[in-house]
Amino acid sequence: MDQPIAMTPQYTELHCHSAYSFLDGTSLPEELVAAALELGHTALALTDHDGVYGSMEFAHSARALGLRPIHGAELSLSDGRHLTLLVESERGWRNLCQLLTAAHAGTRERPREPTPPSVSLDDVRAHSEGLVCLTGCAERGVHDEPGVRALREAFGTERLRVELQRPFLDGDRARNGALAALAARLRLRCVATGDVHAHTSARVPLQDAFVAARHHLTLESSEPQRRPNGSHVLASPAAMAARFADHPAAVAESAALAERLDFDLTGDLGYRYPGVEDRTAQRRLAELCGELLHDRYSGVALSEARARLESELAVIETLSLAGFFLLHHEILELSREVALEVRGRDSPRALLPPGRGRGSSVSSIVCYLTGLSHIDPLAGGLSMGRFLNPELTSLPDIDIDFPRDIREVLIRRVHERYGHDRAALVATFPSFRTRGAIRELGKALGLPPGEIERVARGADSFSRAIDREVSSALGRRAQGSRWEWLERLAREALGLPRHISQHPGGMIVSTRPLIDCCPVLPAAMEGRQLVQWDKDSCADAGFLKIDLLGLGMLSAVERTVELIAIKRGERIDLSRIPFDDPETFSAIQRAETTGVFQVESRAQMQSLRRTRPENLAELAIQVAIIRPGPIQGGAVNPYIERRQRLREDHAYEPPCLHPSLAGVLRETLGTIIFQDQVLEVAQAFAGFGPGEADGLRRAMSRKRASVAIERYRRRFIEGAAAHVGASEQLAQRVWEMVAGFAGFGFPKAHSAAFGLLAYQSTWLRVHYGPEFLCALLNEQPMGFYPPDSLAHEAQRRGIELRRVDINASLAECSVENGGAIRIGLGYVRGVHAEEVAALVSAREECGGFSSVAELAARVPAARPSLEQLAWSGACDSIAGQRRRALWELGVSIPSRRVKGGAQLALALDSGTAPSLRELGRWETLLADYATTSVTLEDHALAILRPRLDGVSTSIELGTLRHGAPVSVAGLVVARQRPETASGVVFMLIEDELGCVNLIVPPAIYERRRHIVRAEPLILARGRLERPPAGGGTINVLVREIRTLDEELADTVAAPLGHLPERREEPAAGSGFRAVAPPVQSFASGRRR
Amino acid sequence: MSGPRSLSLPRGARVRAGPGGRPLAVDGQPVAHVRESWLVEDRWWTSQPLRRRYWELISERGRDIVVFHDLIDGRWFRQR
Repeated sequence: MDQPIAMTPQYTELHCHSAYSFLDGTSLPEELVAAALELGHTALALTDHDGVYGSMEFAHSARALGLRPIHGAELSLSDGRHLTLLVESERGWRNLCQLLTAAHAGTRERPREPTPPSVSLDDVRAHSEGLVCLTGCAERGVHDEPGVRALREAFGTERLRVELQRPFLDGDRARNGALAALAARLRLRCVATGDVHAHTSARVPLQDAFVAARHHLTLESSEPQRRPNGSHVLASPAAMAARFADHPAAVAESAALAERLDFDLTGDLGYRYPGVEDRTAQRRLAELCGELLHDRYSGVALSEARARLESELAVIETLSLAGFFLLHHEILELSREVALEVRGRDSPRALLPPGRGRGSSVSSIVCYLTGLSHIDPLAGGLSMGRFLNPELTSLPDIDIDFPRDIREVLIRRVHERYGHDRAALVATFPSFRTRGAIRELGKALGLPPGEIERVARGADSFSRAIDREVSSALGRRAQGSRWEWLERLAREALGLPRHISQHPGGMIVSTRPLIDCCPVLPAAMEGRQLVQWDKDSCADAGFLKIDLLGLGMLSAVERTVELIAIKRGERIDLSRIPFDDPETFSAIQRAETTGVFQVESRAQMQSLRRTRPENLAELAIQVAIIRPGPIQGGAVNPYIERRQRLREDHAYEPPCLHPSLAGVLRETLGTIIFQDQVLEVAQAFAGFGPGEADGLRRAMSRKRASVAIERYRRRFIEGAAAHVGASEQLAQRVWEMVAGFAGFGFPKAHSAAFGLLAYQSTWLRVHYGPEFLCALLNEQPMGFYPPDSLAHEAQRRGIELRRVDINASLAECSVENGGAIRIGLGYVRGVHAEEVAALVSAREECGGFSSVAELAARVPAARPSLEQLAWSGACDSIAGQRRRALWELGVSIPSRRVKGGAQLALALDSGTAPSLRELGRWETLLADYATTSVTLEDHALAILRPRLDGVSTSIELGTLRHGAPVSVAGLVVARQRPETASGVVFMLIEDELGCVNLIVPPAIYERRRHIVRAEPLILARGRLERPPAGGGTINVLVREIRTLDEELADTVAAPLGHLPERREEPAAGSGFRAVAPPVQSFASGRRR
Repeated sequence: MSGPRSLSLPRGARVRAGPGGRPLAVDGQPVAHVRESWLVEDRWWTSQPLRRRYWELISERGRDIVVFHDLIDGRWFRQR
């Protein structure tokens, strides 16, 4: 029987935007791919606005699912019109990249106000080869005859098509008729396109909201900017043929043209990193390492090191990676020059290496010898398998941490060394998260700003349950269609890229101009530029990414060393300090680690008291243990219990599931704590090869890899039976340990590197407390605690802190004679850095200020800045008190800013101030927080304490028994809701004597969510928990939580009479809430 | 004088439509030709969302007629 001939019309969509047309397209490339296949397409072009940000992602998901990807972009011309460019060949891709680079080149001339990208028609003409040009969209295409003629000159009739669209507007037929006539006159063919902005009609409302948000308008007011209907959704070939029934040839042409566009982005783009083709590289690397081997090792260690080096060099040769290592070495040498320049030749910081390795590369002896790591892998027992093995299929990662100041200069220098056309930073695409989506889309919907903010602040960062956020914040169901729409739109927006930004430190360098492989655009920071791809796309393109990361603690440590040299005349080489200092380990075991690297957080402190690390190896485990991997893998408690038993009984043998695992898990007492142990277990127990084991690790770290993981599981269980004869049951148990680790964990080498810095910073804290604290205060923001908490903790252990003072403070915090720390003028918010500098230099030139009038006369600072200084208490030493300082400022005559400097005023006598009441304790507290965010006077709780009945202090908790009912109150220092804790929230609150840990069960959290999430002063009632194995750790398991406001309102009358300052009754609430110091709040970093 | 008054308010129309919603006759007048058709979808976030398919037509008598089909309630209106 004859088969019926398929009558599917031939149409290929050649004009399609993904969400990488930021705030315009609403679908991810993979969503478009899946929808296209479902609708019966066999190919699809991605043409985002002025970019190919999503092209690699598109290419890979299309190839994986069986759709043929076509690449291109919609390019903006300098007159505001658009062209659709499609890539026909490798040459065309290069030209597209160059055109897009040119389009963005001038967009950051004023860094704060980027201008939209565009190119001239001449640019297009010069880069037309290998590209097919469509004349552009209905609204902004090139539709005039001279314009189309100019394009025909550039592209010829074979590579130019007149683009017809049917957006269902009044005038479509007339326009398309005229365009078809124009095409006929110029002997050009027409092609139909859909100008797709969404893969499904369900995203049409989001597209409208995106347009409104992009123009900072509401949906109502953005009517002229928005698309008038939902015709921009990806449609089936049949629907498109029906839409263009008047122009069947244009429909057929889309498919015919698509046939020609077979450029493959997943092929070789011609990228090479410098040195990859250097035939001498292997020999040079071997020589370099060989020379240094004798400097670092001797005796037995030397022969062991030589053997290790030889085996590593052999792997490097097999993988042809010598050039890769030499390139990193070269950049490190460059950083040495930069460090010398930034630190100064004679700086005490000169003893420190310019940067430090992190990540798995720290396990490599080649890295150690070439300075890319500072950890001896032999002494640390680090195996290189995770970093380097003969079965490696992609480039290994070498990450280097630098102090912030060195990194800033280094990134610029790398651009210069390799050329601005050959070096660029990797991009990232921050995507919509709950809070941002609620804010931005709520505004577009025209919802009340106050209510939007309440909902947004209370929302969990990655929550998809937005309706719950709304009802919880507003105390009702999200009634009214706009709130319901907000719910829906915000949910759809989650995960869509919002804009382009720069990766923290990933750089790409290339032997050929990068702009032949990927467009490059200027970054917001001067002298830096970005490729248009994120790290995954760069990896897919085979780009070598070098990570030059900034690490605040390295900066702080360097500052400390410098301060110690200045203040005490001691030069400290941190690589030669004693690494078994009992005082340092004793501080670590007591969890006196506020401010130090890694082991300072609430969770780390609790765990430290139980594990009590005694050496660097145990500290490295400690650094790795509070991670999702070990937590979910169930390693934490067994490890801690076994560690405790071992401390009591040295003969104790930790259990191990199988003898083949004894070796690989010995150090971590039979548990999996390091990422490399996943690999080692797979090899030792299930007989995996190194490449296969690494494949398992990679599959575990990827998001949607359940199919791959299941395949590995079967392989693991079969392998275990064959390799060590394990029963299926046993193999399954070991697998669960491995699979539980699936989340994020540290490689051992990384933990060793971080553990070392944790030790060094603790050592500095223990022996040079004031200098270390001063450095921390000057490197903010960093670490877990806000400056206010760091200051209070230091005060509690006897370090003196002095308030900001115009006659004593420098711009930064400083250590004064006698070891007291003076808060810097830079801490006063709202006073510009230039004003601070002018104040300090005025003081240095002509001596201190004797009156506020003199300050105003001599320092060219704006009036509000001087008022902030007065209100912060910085003028108390000359005015006596803050109100008086403000009054004196009010009657003083300021200096005036004139061209080229300031015209200073005559200091006139301002007369006598009236009698002004001094600030009370609570007012002082508010003024301190409002100006510097740090108070050195009374703690809020010290002031409120007389009014709190039956509330225990943090010290008193130590005297209560386990299980006792207890009430505590304090200032919130941190709020955390780890994904691993099934909804439990951990809070850290601080009172006048110390900190208290609160455990808020999910039910309480849900009920009192807005208190937990946003209130700075709280009171909690619950049960004291001091488990015997807790090492003295105390928690309060919360049953009830309220604001101190609510509490004080209930206890009104009686205690008020006892307050020393009746007139300024502390209302713990609103006034305080507005100025409360920013704290660690859930996943969003520090915020108010 | 009465107050301000809206001009060209749509009024109900009797429309016979063919395949694809194309009007064949408006208020009894046969349609000779479709000049244009467009679509308005808006105000979806309010309680009065708008979804209208407009048709600009030439009747057999040579008149230019604009009608729209309300895609929410299915009614036809004549705009001019």
